[in-house]
Amino acid sequence: MIVHNDFPEDLESLPEYLSTWITPNDAFFVRQHLPRPRTSAETHKVEVGGLAANKLSLSIADLRKLPQVSVPAVLECAGNGRSYFRPKMPGLQWTKGAIGNAEWRGPRLADILAKARASTKAQFADFDGLDVGVGKTPDFIRSIPMRKLQHPSTILALDMNGVPLPDLHGGPVRLVVPGWDGASWVKWVSRIELADKMHTGFYMNPAYRYPKNPVAPGSAAKPEDLDVLEGMAVKSFFARPADQTKVQLGTPVTLTGPAWAGEHNVARVDVSTDGGATWKTASLSAQGREFSWRIWKSEWRPAKPGYYTLCCRATDTAGRTQPIEPAWNPSGYLWNAVDRVGVLVEG
Amino acid sequence: MRRLIVLAAAVASASSLLGAADAALIERGKAEEKRCVGCHSLTIIGSQRLSKTGWERELDKMVRWGSDIKDREALMAYLVATYGDGKPMPKPTLSADASASK
Repeated sequence: MIVHNDFPEDLESLPEYLSTWITPNDAFFVRQHLPRPRTSAETHKVEVGGLAANKLSLSIADLRKLPQVSVPAVLECAGNGRSYFRPKMPGLQWTKGAIGNAEWRGPRLADILAKARASTKAQFADFDGLDVGVGKTPDFIRSIPMRKLQHPSTILALDMNGVPLPDLHGGPVRLVVPGWDGASWVKWVSRIELADKMHTGFYMNPAYRYPKNPVAPGSAAKPEDLDVLEGMAVKSFFARPADQTKVQLGTPVTLTGPAWAGEHNVARVDVSTDGGATWKTASLSAQGREFSWRIWKSEWRPAKPGYYTLCCRATDTAGRTQPIEPAWNPSGYLWNAVDRVGVLVEG
Repeated sequence: MRRLIVLAAAVASASSLLGAADAALIERGKAEEKRCVGCHSLTIIGSQRLSKTGWERELDKMVRWGSDIKDREALMAYLVATYGDGKPMPKPTLSADASASK
């Protein structure tokens, strides 16, 4: 892993671990806003309150008694790729790997909200985890609108890739909001508060907001011109070959990596071996469940020695495609430029 | 001519004194940086490349969040001199298992 921060842990996956449909837990990126709390599956409780007729206090055993669903889904940090923006901005300097695809399993939020008899006045649920800030660092609380919470794939995950959710990844229980930025996937969930308005804390405003209209690079955006981030961008990148790889002429080279599109589906991935002058369509792994990624692949036989710039570009079912230059924004969110790697073919 | 030499020597000496003062300030800032570890490691600081204005904004945020900065002038001098926006990006820090696989 690339270590961006030892404490709290902010760890990035290396691209070579991102060429398979499932990202192993040990290679899955970690993003902690606040120090990891101490809790356990035996003692942990999730309180449900606010605009609900039936207040709940659920243990992990209670949550496991509810119907369980499996949701393979991509988790990506909103700031993945931030290090590529110019001018630079503060924040974790992620490259490609603040992303992974895992199979999450647990009860649906819709079932929990029904059990709590959520009021029709409730528009949002505020999710708080056991993590707390040092000093006056704001608590990490995220509001999710009811329309997303009622989606059958929005769950409280108790398992990740077939094992109890590791505490490094928010165990024993984290929110899974498929297709949305990682900041929505609250870890160590301990309180769900139903409310008629969005929470006003730092992590809803100004954090995790994106300009409604593009702003000039390096300029500020007025608070009223920012919206809460929700669905993620269409994106693909090279897991292999690594940038600046050397290969021998005559050896076929496998170009491969993941492609995903937030709440949409990937329609195709095109690759170029001449810096984007010409493109050909890559093969795609079978369409899995929505919200998970697909692995694209293309075989390349370089015709002559020299230095090549390889590019990949995904297009989704909504007609979105990766741009040459993503919109610069003050917090460095949603980097999804056409990915490029350089390869030297030796004769 | 002699006057010119004396003047040049005086300027060099002043600039060296100034250099020494800057170096001392930056050294004090490096010591001040260690106070940040109550909330986060120093690795994340070393990965940033920000302008003076950018670093001022970051320190303002940290103060709002409860950071007790004793010597802000020295810390700013250190951050801008070491992690200013013109400095090259650092090599990534790899965990032991990732380093072993390279």
